Amino acid sequence: MTTVLRTRQLTKTYQGKDVVRNVNMNVRAGEIYGFLGPNGAGKTTVMRMIANLVKPTAGEIELFGQRLTSGSYDVLGRMGAIIEYPVFYDKLTAAGNLKLHCEYMGYHDKNAIDESLELVGLRNVENKMVKDFSLGMKQRLGIARAIVTKPELLILDEPINGLDPMGIKEFRDIFKALSREYGITILISSHILGEIELVADRIGVINNGMLLEEVSMEDVREKNKSYIELKTHDCAKAAYVIEHELRLSNFRVIGNESIRIYDLSKEQQDITRTLIHHDVAIESIGKKSSTLEEYFLGVMKGAEFSA
Amino acid sequence: MLKLMRLEMQKFKMGRYIRGAFIASFVIFALLCFLALAEKSEGTVAFPTYADAFMIIDTMVRGTFIVFAATLIARIVIGEYKNKTITLLFMYPVNRRKIIVSKLVIVVLFTFAAIVYTDIMVSCAFYLFDRFANVVPEKLSSGIVSETAISMGMNALAASFMGLIPLFFGMRKLSVSTTIVSSLGVVLLVCSGTNEFSLNSIIAIPISLAALGIVIAYLAIRKVEHADVAA
Repeated sequence: MTTVLRTRQLTKTYQGKDVVRNVNMNVRAGEIYGFLGPNGAGKTTVMRMIANLVKPTAGEIELFGQRLTSGSYDVLGRMGAIIEYPVFYDKLTAAGNLKLHCEYMGYHDKNAIDESLELVGLRNVENKMVKDFSLGMKQRLGIARAIVTKPELLILDEPINGLDPMGIKEFRDIFKALSREYGITILISSHILGEIELVADRIGVINNGMLLEEVSMEDVREKNKSYIELKTHDCAKAAYVIEHELRLSNFRVIGNESIRIYDLSKEQQDITRTLIHHDVAIESIGKKSSTLEEYFLGVMKGAEFSA
Repeated sequence: MLKLMRLEMQKFKMGRYIRGAFIASFVIFALLCFLALAEKSEGTVAFPTYADAFMIIDTMVRGTFIVFAATLIARIVIGEYKNKTITLLFMYPVNRRKIIVSKLVIVVLFTFAAIVYTDIMVSCAFYLFDRFANVVPEKLSSGIVSETAISMGMNALAASFMGLIPLFFGMRKLSVSTTIVSSLGVVLLVCSGTNEFSLNSIIAIPISLAALGIVIAYLAIRKVEHADVAA
């Protein structure tokens, strides 16, 4: 698989402070790369550097196999982006803004504007001035603008801010379709982990300007298998029963009152029955699966300890 | 480059500025007539010679369009930074320098054309007005016309570049009002004075101010390629 975007030791320093430090990021062709991190972690700065708006202090960015420099203008024509909140020429209409965008991008497909407005559901307001748009509509129009020229790489910084739940789902489907059907590579950042979890193929976790981990969602799911959580006052006895009667070895006692059983070869009802049979009082028992959120928090915590 | 200029003009609806320039030329003409008639009714003469009249016309026109240039800069350069639309422009596969240059060329060309056009229109209108109202005792000779044409042309050229000076102040603060106020400063410097004398008549002054305008434009263009676009 070819790499569309690669950064090497990418660093940006503002007034002596490293906002982004030694980031080595790899985005492969055709994938949806979820870029995660808390507010102020450096997500937007990295994205600004990729869009050539902000120049790196050190390190380099490679786009489509070419090193990005101050004079690299051609590669910009192969990208579409929303950085932070979308800005428009407020006194032009929605269609007018897209038309202008296409002119600057050197893209001359007359139907493209209508198509992209249709795709984001703004077809009926194309002749309305952008200053009369709500935040959600602007966000939609921003996405329409980013995709109108059918770019090879789409950079979306918090693209679902300001959208209602219906809109979020709609865009999740749009992003997936763009990736699957047109082979567009998407770099998407969000602090809404649940959303990234649903669309991303791979994720990168950034905190304090450092890329902590880059991992495929498959691996995340693999590492975070589901388990049965059991709450009881008598952990010692329960553990004994699980180990010797049920013959399960892959479990962990958490604190004084709960046990997590990772070995799912026995049915939950069998476990319950066996425990009760051995006179272990169960407060609650249930199957759980850890989410990207737990994974993310785990990575963040790990970084804190090692820092 | 021409395409970029066309897109800029499309984006900012330049028609409004052209309309504004027409209105300004009418106001200048009306003011001039009022001045001449008012003096005449008191038995004095506002413009003893045509050269005086043309100088006043030229001064008023230049003053007006230097401020016009500042409003244009405020909108098409400063406004893009202020509204962050500059981030869009700088993400296009177009050289940043070319983008800024095309904006400044529009400002300079518009100012120059507006000054020359308004000079000619108001001068002609004033001449016709004089034919009926007899406010200038002197007769118009071809010598005065050609002399005036040359000086107006040179002044228009100098004024169009002077019009870029407010860019410096406007960009420092990214403020529309600073841009316009600083243009008033330029106007005060070159367009005020008594009938006989203004700083503009010392030839070194308009030339060096025009040069300053060019230097400011150059500085604005030079750095833009390597500069970060502020968040």
